[in-house]
This record gives sequence, structure tokens and C-alpha cells, in this order.
Amino acid sequence: MAILAAALVVASAGAAPQSKKKGGAETFNGKARVQTGTAVADASFTIQIDQYTPEKDLKAMESALQSGGSAAFVAALKKAPVAGHFKTGDKTFAIRWARQRETPKGRVISIVTDAPVYFVGAGIPGAQSKAGFDVAVAQMTIDTAGIGDGSMALAAKVKPGGEGGVEIQDYATEPVKLVSIMRVIS
Amino acid sequence: MSVRALTVSLLLAVPLALAAQAPKSPAPESFRANGQITGVAGGAASEMVFKIDKYTADADHDALVKALKDGGNAAFLAALKKAPKVGALTVGQRSIDIRWARTRPEGSDHRRVAFVTDQPAYFAGAGAADAKPTAGYDLAVVEFTIDSVGLGSGTMAPAAKVKPGGPTGVEVDDYSGKRITLTTVTRSLAK
Repeated sequence: MAILAAALVVASAGAAPQSKKKGGAETFNGKARVQTGTAVADASFTIQIDQYTPEKDLKAMESALQSGGSAAFVAALKKAPVAGHFKTGDKTFAIRWARQRETPKGRVISIVTDAPVYFVGAGIPGAQSKAGFDVAVAQMTIDTAGIGDGSMALAAKVKPGGEGGVEIQDYATEPVKLVSIMRVIS
Repeated sequence: MSVRALTVSLLLAVPLALAAQAPKSPAPESFRANGQITGVAGGAASEMVFKIDKYTADADHDALVKALKDGGNAAFLAALKKAPKVGALTVGQRSIDIRWARTRPEGSDHRRVAFVTDQPAYFAGAGAADAKPTAGYDLAVVEFTIDSVGLGSGTMAPAAKVKPGGPTGVEVDDYSGKRITLTTVTRSLAK
């Protein structure tokens, strides 16, 4: 189980405000890859963002996290409007947190789904319990051409704590990398 | 996720139908294998090592077959756990005991090797949020064919249960319903 730096995704508190650019819906395709010493797995995915989450909704979820912890955050997340979908294989997950920040070279986009996507490592006999890992969290760095990479906690627990005020606890022991991400030109 | 019944020709029925093993045991021997499994969205691959110290003697084999026929999976598993360790399957840092292993000639220059471990190796698909329970899938079953040079391929049910039934008298149910393909199996030169 890995604790990811809060900067990974959710910690918008203290970070630069979300990009004011409205933009339309956008879609990204890519591959998720996890590798250990003797094994590798990858899967194609599509992230469809219909709208970025308004600042007031982001703040409501952050406030829920700080005041009520992980359970309150998940409850607030599930009440938030659907911002898009994460699709892999024949499964689709609702994104209820979507945020973008402009950087000198492009954008950093973070998303949170309202359910876990996959428990990496759960197939090993004696694996830890899945309980409490109720969301999935991803961050992508996209350049101005629409190409990028990122990382993802396919099953995660969002907790208050750490330097940034938010910790992402990943079910997986090995990080999942998002590679070959491309914005779909419509 | 569906459970698929694999015919025992995969494994256990081989020695059932052809009781005699290779006349001269090649054990101890070890193999390196690359396993692959694919799904709708992608796939996974892993390296494994199969170390076989000795092949199961006819008497021990017969006892296991009888246990399965008389008492089903539970009796087979109990008998398997009592059987002497004959090797090990290693994936990464994890090693599990092989307690049944057989080999027999196939054609003029091939050999078929089959073995069963006393624990499951991996529950493929158990990471899905809606995965079915893993209980009852208490062993792993591996089968491959190797040529006289030491190269081959095969299949693996990484979490399985065995039960009497089917046309050959034995069925292997795999947890995932989809076997891992052993794309390359290489016999190690050093014993």
C-alpha cells in the first residue's frame, strides 16, 4: 500500500486555482501500466470529461474531507454532479471530481471516480482487504499538443493529513503509470 | 466472471489414462516460463520458475486419484496436502509447494509435464470491484509440453478446484474461467 503525495491530485487547497478556461468536453485515450520485478500488466483506457468541476463543488468536497475524513469525502463525492467517465474494457466509472490547472507547458488534470476501478494485487492469496478504498484517483500532465502521461491510484482512500492537508492512500503497492495519453481531436 | 470447467485431459487424466510415466525420470529439473493472460481492456504477463525435484510415484498418484473419485475436491485437497513435496512454483518473491507432478513421453521427441500445487498461485480477475469470492479455489494446476531441446508451451489454471465428472472423470474449474497461456517454457540446463 502506498501513500501518494497529496500533490498528486486532490489537494487543490493551497494550490493554484483551477484554470478559468471553460473549454468544451474533451476525451483522452491512454494506457495504464503497472510493473513489478517479474510481471507487467497494462490496459487501455478512455477519460471523457464533460465539464470540469466548479470551484464551489471542489471546495465543498475538500471541506467535507477536512471536517469528516475519508467517509465524508466519499459521501460528498457521490453527491457531486457527474463530470465525466473513466472507461476501461467493458466497464465505465463516473468521474465526480475533475480539475485542471494550467502550467507553463500545458495542463495538469486530476480526476476522482466515485468507485474503485481495480484492486491491483488483490489476486495474490492473502491480499489485504479492499474495504475503505472507495475511489480511484488520477493525475495527468498534458502538453499544449494534447499529449501526456500521468499516474493513477486505481483503488484509493482519500484522507486528511500530510503536508498538503490531503493524502491519497493507494491499495496497490506498485504505482500505476498512465502512458501514451493523447487528447482526442474531435 | 464465469467458472469454466476444463477437461482433465488438461492434467489429471493424462496419468489416469496413461498410468506409466517416462521410464527414466528426468527429475530433478527446472523450467522458466512466461505466462500471459488477456482481457477486454488489456493483458498481463509474468515470469515463473517451476522446480521439480522428483515426479510423483505411482503409489502416491493412485492415492490422490482415489481420494478425488471417492471424496471430491475436499478429499483430493486433503490428500494433496499430505503428499510429499516434490517441487516448487516461484513467482517473484513467492514460492508455493508442488505436491503432485507427472511426466510422460508424447510422440517421438516431446514430453508432457503436469503438476499441482497445494495453494493457489494467483486469482486472476480478483482485483475487480465486483469479483466473486475466492474461497474454494485452493490449488493451481499447470500443464505444458516440452521438446527434446527443452523448449515448450502450455497452460496454467492459477487458482482452481478439481472435481470428479466430465467425460474423463475429472474436471478442473479455474477461478477466472480463463487459463493463463504459458507462451514459452524453457528447461534450465543446470539441474
